[in-house]
Amino acid sequence: MIKSFQQEIIFVTGKGGVGKSAVAAGIALKRSKEGKKTLLVELGYQSFYTDYFAEQLKAPVAFSPVRVTDNLDVALWSGPECLREYAIYLLKSESIYKLFFENSVSKALINVAPALPELAITGKITSGPRHVGPPLRYDVIVVDAFATGHFLALLKAPQGMAEAIQFGPMGDQSRSIDKVLKDSNQCKYFIVSLPEELPTAESLELAEGIEKTLGAKPVIVMNKMLPVEVTPHEGASDFEKFLTNSQQRQNQALSLLGGRPLQKISFCFQNDSWKVVESISQEINL
Amino acid sequence: MKSLIENSKVLVCVGSGGVGKTTVASSLALLGAQLGKRVLVLTVDPAQRLKTTMGIEEGQEAVEIKGHQITGQLFASVIDPKKTFDEFVMRASSQPERVKKILNNKLYVQLSTTLSGSQEFTALEKLYSSFESGKYDLIVLDTPPTKHAIDFLKAPQKLAALFTEGVAKWFRDPKATQQNFFLGLLQSGTKQVLKTLEALTGSDFMKELADFFQNIEQWQGQLEKRAGDVHSLLVSPTTSFVLITSFDEAKLKEAEYFSKEIKQGGYRLSALIINRAFPFWIQSGEQLQSKSPKVMNLYMQMKDYYQKREESFSRFSIRMNQQAKILRLPEMREDVSDISGVELLAKYIQEAK
Ligand SMILES: Nc1ncnc2c1ncn2[C@@H]1O[C@H](COP(=O)(O)OP(=O)(O)OP(=O)(O)O)[C@@H](O)[C@H]1O
Ligand SMILES: Nc1ncnc2c1ncn2[C@@H]1O[C@H](COP(=O)(O)OP(=O)(O)OP(=O)(O)O)[C@@H](O)[C@H]1O
Ligand SMILES: [Mg+2]
Ligand SMILES: [Mg+2]
Repeated sequence: MIKSFQQEIIFVTGKGGVGKSAVAAGIALKRSKEGKKTLLVELGYQSFYTDYFAEQLKAPVAFSPVRVTDNLDVALWSGPECLREYAIYLLKSESIYKLFFENSVSKALINVAPALPELAITGKITSGPRHVGPPLRYDVIVVDAFATGHFLALLKAPQGMAEAIQFGPMGDQSRSIDKVLKDSNQCKYFIVSLPEELPTAESLELAEGIEKTLGAKPVIVMNKMLPVEVTPHEGASDFEKFLTNSQQRQNQALSLLGGRPLQKISFCFQNDSWKVVESISQEINL
Repeated sequence: MKSLIENSKVLVCVGSGGVGKTTVASSLALLGAQLGKRVLVLTVDPAQRLKTTMGIEEGQEAVEIKGHQITGQLFASVIDPKKTFDEFVMRASSQPERVKKILNNKLYVQLSTTLSGSQEFTALEKLYSSFESGKYDLIVLDTPPTKHAIDFLKAPQKLAALFTEGVAKWFRDPKATQQNFFLGLLQSGTKQVLKTLEALTGSDFMKELADFFQNIEQWQGQLEKRAGDVHSLLVSPTTSFVLITSFDEAKLKEAEYFSKEIKQGGYRLSALIINRAFPFWIQSGEQLQSKSPKVMNLYMQMKDYYQKREESFSRFSIRMNQQAKILRLPEMREDVSDISGVELLAKYIQEAK
């Protein structure tokens, strides 16, 4: 059966430490439980999920996907590896690639050449809808993306390149990547935040940045919400005072959001990471 | 902590994104000034409100911060990566007409603002020039948000590798190398590489790239020298690293890995700060009696949660306390977003066991 399938690409970003990786995993787990073949992708050189999913994984996370659970795989993509794959795909020969790229000079270049790693990564993420490169047979790709500033740089790279380089494959590729990133039927953006004033302010700035760069409307995910309502009263214990105070801060942070699309995720008091991810997957609405 | 501050000339605060590097760096600096030192804190991208209450702005020279039981002096400045990088380029270039060319190169604009270690490089550049100025007894350096603390230390090497690996040579004026047979051979080899790269990227891109490398080649000497100077400063006995981490299994594991890397790099790791380690109420030791079953239930859950963390912390500190002094800081009731928050945190740092 030939069917042009629509791959869903979900980006998860936010300030450092707010729970991006946990939320990305929760989203991926939810999709996989719906029966969708899902790939959870982390970016960079070092895997976070190898330790986080130590109980579930049989092998460390690598460039090629490894299985976490039914319908859910995880992979780790770095700029140079994405570039390498793309180059081999175009050159149609691994040995030519090796000859030209596997020397210290080329490696140094690839590591620092401006925007090249960013392009390679966004190129790989969007390779499905663009039908470029080795096929990625997944219904859903969830990207545990870089934090705030670095994420914007990632999104801006294709557009910047497209403007800088008018002609040639590099310019064409950049334009096609940019187009997919801007297509709201294809790509969704989630910004994870904590219900505190500063992180929320930063998330709003990021949301505006994404809107400006792509025209997309990101959803803000307020993570680690404290669940219980308390009413301030005489002789309240330290714990109750803490709850009242947290609630005030939470409400204040939420009020900053105006009418933006919002999701709330409760603080899950479990030290077992898989339980945290499962609880997020049950709470999140996609 | 007091002796660390007293015996150091440079404190470098490292840690993964969002753990509290900027906040802790500001607090350490304030402590130094309260101990009578002339202190400079170099911050990267602090929260707007912190900037406002401290009265600092991007790219400005250091601003003096007054009051707050300061017996010495406290100066603060925000590192502006683009400006620092441009300044470095201007200083490193011998030919002014080239400076203009490079500052306008499209790839340079990308490199200097967002990519591949330029932020890290500029933080270190700023640290060194402030140190060289001899104006301060102590400089506290906040570092950019990296995914991993160690990226910070590797960034200048990555940038320097560009030169030591001779990438710039590829794009050098071919005439310059013709006299030398071996260089000529290399040149014809690299021509193939460039042709392949051009097939992948297009000639427009290659033109920009060649332009870029031709223009930055002249930095080589300066960059290498600077990298060397910065390295000696970072490994000097009066420079210490402070690793900041948050408190959960994954992050503690990461912290262990960082401390190893810091030590392997020949740097001195003096303190490990576990920030936002516990809420205040957990310390009071009260037994909650609430009429609301929901509140009671939450209380039990949270207590258990922090109890388990306490256990994993004990294991962690047994493994780590040979490595560095370990401090735990509480989760404050308010965001640490102004000078009074910084003051309070400084007090906890001083008191922390
Ligand atoms: N809703 C939640 N309830 C309880 N714990 C959570 C929740 N969300 C995240 N966590 C925990 O908080 C810690 C930090 O989360 P995570 O590692 O996902 O953050 P991050 O934003 O990816 O961090 P980094 O910027 O370092 O990549 C983890 O231990 C994670 O399990
Ligand atoms: N002990 C604490 N108690 C409560 N809030 C804290 C504490 N330490 C830091 N914070 C808050 O945590 C947030 C992150 O802190 P900070 O900006 O210092 O982190 P950072 O490591 O510099 O982040 P980045 O990597 O993004 O530069 C801020 O909102 C700050 O107010
Ligand atoms: Mg993460
Ligand atoms: Mg910071």
